[in-house]
Amino acid sequence: MQERGVEYERLDERHLALQLQANGLVEEYDLIWCRAISHSRALYALSVLNSWGIRTVNSYQVVLTCGDKVSTSLALIQHNVPTPRTVVALSAEAALQAIEEMGYPVVLKPAVGSWGRLLSKVNDRDTAEAVLNHKATLGGPLHSVFYVQEYVDKPSRDIRTLVVGDEVVYAMYRHSAHWITNTARGGEALPCPLSPEIEELSLAAAQAVGGGILAVDLMETADDRLLVNEVNHTPEFHGAMEAVGVDIAGKMADYVLQLVGWSGGPWSGGQESLSTIRPSGHLTNSGGGLC
Amino acid sequence: MRVGVLCSRVRVEEKLIFQALRDRGVDGERIDVNTTALGLSEGVNGYDVVLVRCLSHSRALYASKLLGDNGQRVVNVYDVIATSGDKLLTSLALAKRGVPTPRTRVAFTPQTALEVIEQMGYPVVLKPLNGSWGRLLAKINDRDAAETILEHKHTLGGYQHSIFYIQEYIDKPGRDIRSFVVGGEVISAIYRHAPHWITNTARGGEATSCPITPQIEHISRGAAEAVGGGVVAVDILEAPDGRLLVSEVNHTPEFRNSIAPTGVDIAARIVDYALEVAVMEPGR
Repeated sequence: MQERGVEYERLDERHLALQLQANGLVEEYDLIWCRAISHSRALYALSVLNSWGIRTVNSYQVVLTCGDKVSTSLALIQHNVPTPRTVVALSAEAALQAIEEMGYPVVLKPAVGSWGRLLSKVNDRDTAEAVLNHKATLGGPLHSVFYVQEYVDKPSRDIRTLVVGDEVVYAMYRHSAHWITNTARGGEALPCPLSPEIEELSLAAAQAVGGGILAVDLMETADDRLLVNEVNHTPEFHGAMEAVGVDIAGKMADYVLQLVGWSGGPWSGGQESLSTIRPSGHLTNSGGGLC
Repeated sequence: MRVGVLCSRVRVEEKLIFQALRDRGVDGERIDVNTTALGLSEGVNGYDVVLVRCLSHSRALYASKLLGDNGQRVVNVYDVIATSGDKLLTSLALAKRGVPTPRTRVAFTPQTALEVIEQMGYPVVLKPLNGSWGRLLAKINDRDAAETILEHKHTLGGYQHSIFYIQEYIDKPGRDIRSFVVGGEVISAIYRHAPHWITNTARGGEATSCPITPQIEHISRGAAEAVGGGVVAVDILEAPDGRLLVSEVNHTPEFRNSIAPTGVDIAARIVDYALEVAVMEPGR
């Protein structure tokens, strides 16, 4: 943002108290880019901001869809994006039956959650019973929404791509000996060639959830198909910058600025985009970053 | 003679206890734990003995303490409830008294628990320290299961669930043994049959009569004594090599399904014991 000469402010969502009756902030920002780590905070902040008519990246709808694996899967399926076979069960008993029918191994995931937390690879009935029982007994009501997915035997890696608008900015492999490949859990990031298939699937997945700045997780099956596993609405990319050698933050910033009509390219002073500076010296092209 | 029965819900067991009291011409009074407040230096008045039959372990624990400390005779006493209500304290008490019990280790972090499990070898059983009816018991057959169950306990459970109680899995012959020990006497024993490794009758295990062999009698009495006596049910596992191992001791046993197989009137035996406690000389 600094390099592009844009006035921006950091809004710490922990300090926000949004007056629902007042239509606040709308005069102040052309766009708010949400980088809140907490899904719930992001979701509710965006809900208020969007209802006030403030443009955000990503939009409330996108975060709503991506933040819930059930919604994500439904969106992918509706848009014919290949994704692993998935069953949603609403009681432990129904989930156990679904697991037995699907056959072992299966993966159980919390509907809401990230960084590979509370993912379960369930190899047998003893494990299924124990995991379901623990979720139902110890977890809140959301943990009794059982998201059951076929286990895809991937080649010790998965693929993460970053979609910014209608461009796939990069693809990388996340290598890991563990079946959970998140770099946050120790998966190693290496560059992955951006094949037409990967590009097409990534764009389709991003579009399915509503588009914006999105990370798409893809898995390679044993029979060489690609399946979209998840779409992440607030991707972390510090690990990827070095691996792929792309100025990811710059790409994102250009996309965000283009949304508010910034004519593009680094600001070098005296250009027409500056005509939006008010006599008082304020930029109308200001942005807010929610994080 | 006045006998109080402290409970919230009157289950089949409590009804049988009231009937046994009536049969002996004794006033049995229900003390509703939901509406009874206990003070630090005043108890409930006028009872010769109070049978603690709360469903909730925590209620039984604190009620027996408050009553007992105010000089009220109770069955069971606080120490028995405190020890047998906690699997770790039970294991320690059993080990201390030389009662055979499955190999058990305790870890305080998921990482250490995982190491312990890997060292012990699969399968292992993870149990919450408190809990009954076989709830949250986990049979762990591989590392994937260990990782996810430990994470679920640690992330979703309260602090108690991060005290990981890890026990070797005993490959029992489709059944375990439950014996009832009342006042130091083994009054009856049943087999609990189940195709599932969790054999609790509350979970559908079928009960048949189990002959009280000298070995069963010995290990049951030892286990009851280890936790402090009173009225307890002892869960015994038969190992493939023929050894008997005590897995748990229960301080407020349900027994509705354990009467028919043996014909032993468990409620009557509990009441007879309570009446003995009521007239026991102080200091015994």
